[in-house]
Amino acid sequence: MSVQMPRWIMRFLTSPRELLIFLAGGVCAFGAMGIGAVVVIEGGIFNATASTPHLAVVAVAAHTAFIRSVEVRAAGVKPPARFAPAEVAAGFRDYDASCAVCHGAPGIAQARWASAMTPPPPYLEDAARRWRPRELYWIVGQGVKMTAMPAWAEVRSDGQVWNLVGFLEALPYLTAADYQHLRAEARSAGGAKTNH
Amino acid sequence: MLEVLAVTSDRGWADLSRKLMSCMMLAIVCATPLSGCVRRPAAHTWAKFGGNPGQGALLVGRFSCGACHEIAGVEGAIGQVGPPLSTFGERTMIAGVLPNTPENLVRWLRHPQSVVPGNAMPDVGLTDAQARDVAAWLYRKH
Repeated sequence: MSVQMPRWIMRFLTSPRELLIFLAGGVCAFGAMGIGAVVVIEGGIFNATASTPHLAVVAVAAHTAFIRSVEVRAAGVKPPARFAPAEVAAGFRDYDASCAVCHGAPGIAQARWASAMTPPPPYLEDAARRWRPRELYWIVGQGVKMTAMPAWAEVRSDGQVWNLVGFLEALPYLTAADYQHLRAEARSAGGAKTNH
Repeated sequence: MLEVLAVTSDRGWADLSRKLMSCMMLAIVCATPLSGCVRRPAAHTWAKFGGNPGQGALLVGRFSCGACHEIAGVEGAIGQVGPPLSTFGERTMIAGVLPNTPENLVRWLRHPQSVVPGNAMPDVGLTDAQARDVAAWLYRKH
C-alpha cells in the first residue's frame, strides 16, 4: 500500500506505520478521557455540595458557557424602543417583591440564606452596563441552569419580563435613598400589585 | 523520528533562546531604573491582626463582593459599582471617610450603612469574626 502523506505530516511522522500508531494513540487518549469522566461521575468524585465553591476551572468554564449561551440565544430578540415610566415602576414592584431577596438592591443586602447558595446570586446594580437589554430579557425569562435562577417567563407575561428589564436598565441610576423612596411610593399607592 | 525532529529544530531553538535571552536582558535593564521611581504605600498586614485570609477568600465569594467590586484573581469579580479591591491594603481612606486601619475596616465591612448612611453598599450580615477574615484577605500580600 503506497499512501502519499502531506508534507507537513511527513515532518513529524515519516511512514504510514507511524501515522497509524499516532492515530491509535489518539483513540486511546479519548477512550481514557471517557473512562475518566465516567469514574468522576459514577464514583461520586464531583462534589455537588453547595457548601464548597466551584473549582476555579469549573467556575471559569461554567461562567463562560453561560455568557456565550446568552449572547448566542438572545441575538434575535427585539427590545422595545423605550420603557415608559409606568413600565419601569411595575418592574420595580416585581423586582422588590420577587428578585431583591436573592439579588439585593442599592443599600439592601440579599437574604442571608441567599449567600449560602453556590454560585451565590450576584447584586445587579451594574447588570445593565454589562448586558444588552435583549440579553437581560433572555436571562430573566429563561433562567440559568444549576444556579437556582428560575425561568420567569413561565410564571410572568412577556410584558412583565420586559418591565423587569426596564427596571434593571434604571437600576444603575438609583441610589439607596431612591430605592427607599420607590418603596414608600409603592406602599402609599395602595400595596404592590404583584404575582406570586 | 525523534532524531529528525532534533536535527531540524535544533538550530531554531538555539536561535529562539538567544533572542529570548536578549529580550529578557533588555527588559531587566529598562525596568531597573523604573522600579525605583514608583513608591507604593506600605500595605497593612494581617499577621498581627488575627483574621484568616483563606477563610476571607471564601467569604468574598459567598457574599458576591465581585458583583460590585473589581478584584484581581477572583473569577467574575468585574463589578464597577464600588472601587477595585486588589490593593486595598495600600488605600489611605475607607469610603473616603474612615482612615484605613484594621479596626475601621472591620467596622466598615460590618456596618457600611451606619458609617455612610444611604451609600450603595449594604450591611450584608458579616459577623465580627467573618469581617476580620475578610479584612485579613483584603490586607494580604500580593
